[in-house]
Amino acid sequence: MRPHWSELPDEDEDDEYGAGTMVRPYTITRGRTAPEHDHLTLITLLTTVEELADPVLAARSSGLRGLQPEHRLILERCRRPAAVAEVAAGLDLPVSVTKILLGDLIAQGLLRARAPISVARASGDGGLDLGLLTAVREGLRRL
Amino acid sequence: MARSAPLPSSPSSPSSGTAPVAPAALKILIAGGFGVGKTTLVGTVSEVAPLRTEEYLTRASEGVDDLSGVDNKETTTVALDFGRITISPELVIYLFGTPGQERFWFMWNDLVNGALGGIVIADTRRLDSSFASIDFFESRGIPFVVAINCFHGENTRSVAEVRAALDLDPQVPMLVGDVRVRTFGRDLLLALVDHLMELSAA
Repeated sequence: MRPHWSELPDEDEDDEYGAGTMVRPYTITRGRTAPEHDHLTLITLLTTVEELADPVLAARSSGLRGLQPEHRLILERCRRPAAVAEVAAGLDLPVSVTKILLGDLIAQGLLRARAPISVARASGDGGLDLGLLTAVREGLRRL
Repeated sequence: MARSAPLPSSPSSPSSGTAPVAPAALKILIAGGFGVGKTTLVGTVSEVAPLRTEEYLTRASEGVDDLSGVDNKETTTVALDFGRITISPELVIYLFGTPGQERFWFMWNDLVNGALGGIVIADTRRLDSSFASIDFFESRGIPFVVAINCFHGENTRSVAEVRAALDLDPQVPMLVGDVRVRTFGRDLLLALVDHLMELSAA
């Protein structure tokens, strides 16, 4: 089992971008403990906006100024769609801290979020969409 | 380090003007007692090596017993392992192995809200370790299937005996196999989807 971040040694200088730099998680969020908008779930999928997906264009973009290393790592990671849980695992940060950073980027228009498929199971509505289940079934059969 | 499987979508050309469309995601929970093979099953069917993430458990405003002596936030963390199956360019399934201490689940709504369904893994030598998972899915109305894991090559009880011991609803599917085997993992997921289809058609 991987040690919790708080148990990792403090001087880990192999990565200037912060993944190995141990600081208190809520320091990264500048003390904020709750996201601006609490709409992100573990499986909300995030994609870096297209203009930033290209490193050359991204380097010229003024929108990236003032971002912290963790923000940049997220934008890099999400050039291909990644779930909140995947981003958190990649950064080795707790999900709640990751959500605050993601919220910053979404608010600045640098990251797009796609909510998970709604699995409505309210009483009496007949259950899930059969078309969706059929698609899932087809995909699973190829495993 | 997160590894990601190549998605079929081409690398976006910056000037194309059409944003790459993210797939939509679904979630399946894998539950069962400690050491019963949850993470193993995640790894068996996932296209990436299981990833681990952590979350603080915050104390709910009421109804929580026994985290006394600690202030009201960030009392503990839970770790969960997860994997991914890309169904199509439009659809991705995330599989979450649930934290061993089921009594904490209700504090983590994000994990259970909106789950498509669940798989409860049981070990016939200690079935009681899976009771909590079954109770939990039943109480939250999350459809599930039961996997009897013959990890150790032994299944000491008949299927009927196990069903009775777990007090399973007759329509809940139960499969016997080895969660290290990919085809068994696939069959479990297919059984869950079939079960969901039956429930939807009912």
